[in-house]
Amino acid sequence: MAYDGKDKVLEEVTGKSYEFGFTTDIESDKAPPGLNEGIIRLISSKKEEPQWMLDWRLEAFAVWQKMEEPDWPHLQYKKPDYQAICYYAAPKQKKQLGSMDDVDPEMRKTMEKLGISLEEQKRLSGVAVDFVMDSVSVATSFKKKLGELGIIFCSMSEAVKEHPKLIRKYLGSVVPTKDNFFSALNAAVFTDGSFCYIPKGVRCPMELSTYFRINESGTGQFERTLVVADESSYVSYLEGCTAPQRDENQLHAAVVELVALDEAEIKYSTVQNWYPGDAEGKGGVFNFVTKRGICHRRSKISWTQVETGSAVTWKYPSCILKGDHSVGEFYSVAVTNNAQQADTGTKMIHLGKNTHSTIISKGISAGKSHNSYRGLVQIMPSADNARNFSQCDSLLMTDTSGAHTFPYIEVKNPTAKVEHEATTSKIGEDQIFYCLQRGIDEEQAISLIVNGYAKEVLNQLPMEFAVEAQKLLSISLEGSVG
Amino acid sequence: MTGMAKPIVMDLERKPNIHLATQAKGEALRAALVALRSGTGLAAEYLDALPVPHRRVERWKHTPVAGFWSTYEAPQVQTVLAAGCEACPVPGLHAYRMVFVNGTFDPAASDLPVHNGVQCAPISMSDSPPREAGDLEATEWFAALNQAFAIEGMRLHIKKGVVLDRPLLVHHHTHGPNSANFLRHEITVEANAQVQLIHWSTADSQASGMVNIMTHIEAATGSHVALDKVQDEAGKLHHLAFEQINQAQSTQVRVHTGTIQGQWVRNDLNFRLDGEGCDSVLNGFFLPSGNEFVDNHTTVDHCAANCTSSEQYQGILYGSSSGVFNGKVFVRPNAQQTNAYQQNGNILVTDKSKINAKPELEIYADDVKCSHGCTIGQFDEEALFYARSRGISEAEAKAMLVNAFIGDVLDGFAVPEVRMELEHRLATKHGWDTWNDTLEAG
Repeated sequence: MAYDGKDKVLEEVTGKSYEFGFTTDIESDKAPPGLNEGIIRLISSKKEEPQWMLDWRLEAFAVWQKMEEPDWPHLQYKKPDYQAICYYAAPKQKKQLGSMDDVDPEMRKTMEKLGISLEEQKRLSGVAVDFVMDSVSVATSFKKKLGELGIIFCSMSEAVKEHPKLIRKYLGSVVPTKDNFFSALNAAVFTDGSFCYIPKGVRCPMELSTYFRINESGTGQFERTLVVADESSYVSYLEGCTAPQRDENQLHAAVVELVALDEAEIKYSTVQNWYPGDAEGKGGVFNFVTKRGICHRRSKISWTQVETGSAVTWKYPSCILKGDHSVGEFYSVAVTNNAQQADTGTKMIHLGKNTHSTIISKGISAGKSHNSYRGLVQIMPSADNARNFSQCDSLLMTDTSGAHTFPYIEVKNPTAKVEHEATTSKIGEDQIFYCLQRGIDEEQAISLIVNGYAKEVLNQLPMEFAVEAQKLLSISLEGSVG
Repeated sequence: MTGMAKPIVMDLERKPNIHLATQAKGEALRAALVALRSGTGLAAEYLDALPVPHRRVERWKHTPVAGFWSTYEAPQVQTVLAAGCEACPVPGLHAYRMVFVNGTFDPAASDLPVHNGVQCAPISMSDSPPREAGDLEATEWFAALNQAFAIEGMRLHIKKGVVLDRPLLVHHHTHGPNSANFLRHEITVEANAQVQLIHWSTADSQASGMVNIMTHIEAATGSHVALDKVQDEAGKLHHLAFEQINQAQSTQVRVHTGTIQGQWVRNDLNFRLDGEGCDSVLNGFFLPSGNEFVDNHTTVDHCAANCTSSEQYQGILYGSSSGVFNGKVFVRPNAQQTNAYQQNGNILVTDKSKINAKPELEIYADDVKCSHGCTIGQFDEEALFYARSRGISEAEAKAMLVNAFIGDVLDGFAVPEVRMELEHRLATKHGWDTWNDTLEAG
């Protein structure tokens, strides 16, 4: 190869250890490992849930027991032992918090290390953070301000108690419990998550944000997020993840449901940086997430994701375009390094007339990782004049990594216009040569090219998040890229 | 978690998904065939191990197989005149011919090449044993079925440096109801030899049952092979065509598939590029109408460096027809400098027509250029309006657009007479009186 320097640089990349690998020492209240009806009853009673919620969980559990773990993704991993996982762990501290000062100083330190100090967030960025640590919501800020507008933004357990009507109407309406293996598991054992409701005609004045963090060793994280945007409302929702270093694999099986009623708009952005495992692929998080939104008439759902972490990712944020003139968007950057594996993409299901969808997916594979795009564009007979544009590009950084594309296109309406393009290539040596000629060193040159390559997606992120996303992109490929 | 890269496996090599009802039907069909062929097909190891295809098997997700499970009658040897195969199906073509009627070789209608450097004979008259099963037979139930029951087919061997002076046309004709025809063609092209092949499939309007054709092509260093496939079958046949093409260093293989007519057609075209500097071209068009179903599955497996592959499939779907396109480009770890291109264009003409497309890339080498594109749309309203405003009828304007849409593929057919005949047959099927005028004008 013409650039020996690059190999060296790539070695540095693989040598880079996980920066956020620290553990918070907080006593936690933990259920014994294993999964049975008893555990589900325990979770439900710990959370002081009403009977209907328990029934719903038990039904999901019954369905899950009959299901098989899918093996169609282009992934290779040792299937987790679901009986060895602890399904409930909550920080013991239980008293109500009046102000930030009441928060456990250990936990606050953790947040500061993550760069999401609540005070700072409050003052500078105007972001309301619903901070989830090991499944229980500890601090919810800006709640009052949102309350004035009628916006509900709270933890799922609180919502179950205080807004049962909304929860019973929408929970499981987009991702039914029997949708897939992981969604059924999640429905049975989810411990917390976020709920957000934007009333009619309200434009949420700030970006809503949730941080997830797997903390307790050997625990799984099963969040449930539900965002309902009532008619003509708007919300931008951010989700970010970092996890501390652990040797055994940790399971993350979340479900996210979005409901955009007539003329509403939801923008959902994710930066995912769970612990990816070490250079040999030991440890790391299994990220098996079901994300789906339903669009009613003239509404819009936009998914943006920057995926840099997790040992194994299985994730397809999707849109069901049910209403006429609804719009679905999916923007994704997925970076895999070392032994990471990602099988990610989207589904756009067109049911309504004049529905539009756009898919932009950028994959970057380094080390000996494998990065797959798997997508479905389905135009049903009722979807007259549906339109889809898909673009999937892959960038290969090493000759040991892989990039794969599995797009499914199913069209049952003759008025549909569907376009799909995909390319796979490596960074052009002529591009690097051009930069070198102009005094830009190789490391910067690669960084420049990768940033330009991912720009289309990064531009979709809200300002506050774009900075963090770029930071994560750099960490993931540091030494050579970013 | 091992963290190892996934070994290179095709979809079906994973743990097969068994569907019991389908499995039982498949076994019943197999038993019926064993009874018919008095004992052949008993020693088919792969048949026992493979799942009978159904929609949960990835490669058959959109391909309905329910039509296969009817009873089959013993094939009868047809007289040539009854079948109407006595003449070359392509007017004006001066070619060698090998004719199979209902899976049986018809010597009277055939015209085999007589040349020192060429061995060409039906398998039933050849001394050497049939080829051993390859990857396809090991992974596809229907291909394994062919391996078990095909006792006839063509064996062609072109010696080193020989260029066959005329194209060789292999005519498959199916006649009458409920037949099960299995053919396997074994083609070996030695170094620097060249050959043009034509596969021509026809059937009469009473024909029903299954046609299952397996073609193996071994292209040795520096050889050139062109295969033009034409499928124009009336009746209610299920047509399965498997091709496995293995290319050695610096070979050029071009396969063009034109599906004009066929109740149910599945083409399973597989290329394996084993030597450096190979060039593969695989193009096709399909214009199903009525209740027809056409499925094109292709795999290009780049195993060696510095190869190029180019693929273009164009479909226009009329009536309540449905189509499937699945193109897979596979680049193995050491296949650097690969240049792979794939394009699939589809036009849905009516409300009831549908298409399922899946262009796939699986890439394990970094210094490659791979791209694929897939479009689904309609006739361009503006282009139609442009033509209409200049006094061209709607039908004529659409014929012009069809011509433009599949023109690139048509032009790629190796034998000019085949190309002409394809255009003629398309015009007859779709009632485009003006087709030929358009062609001349264009």
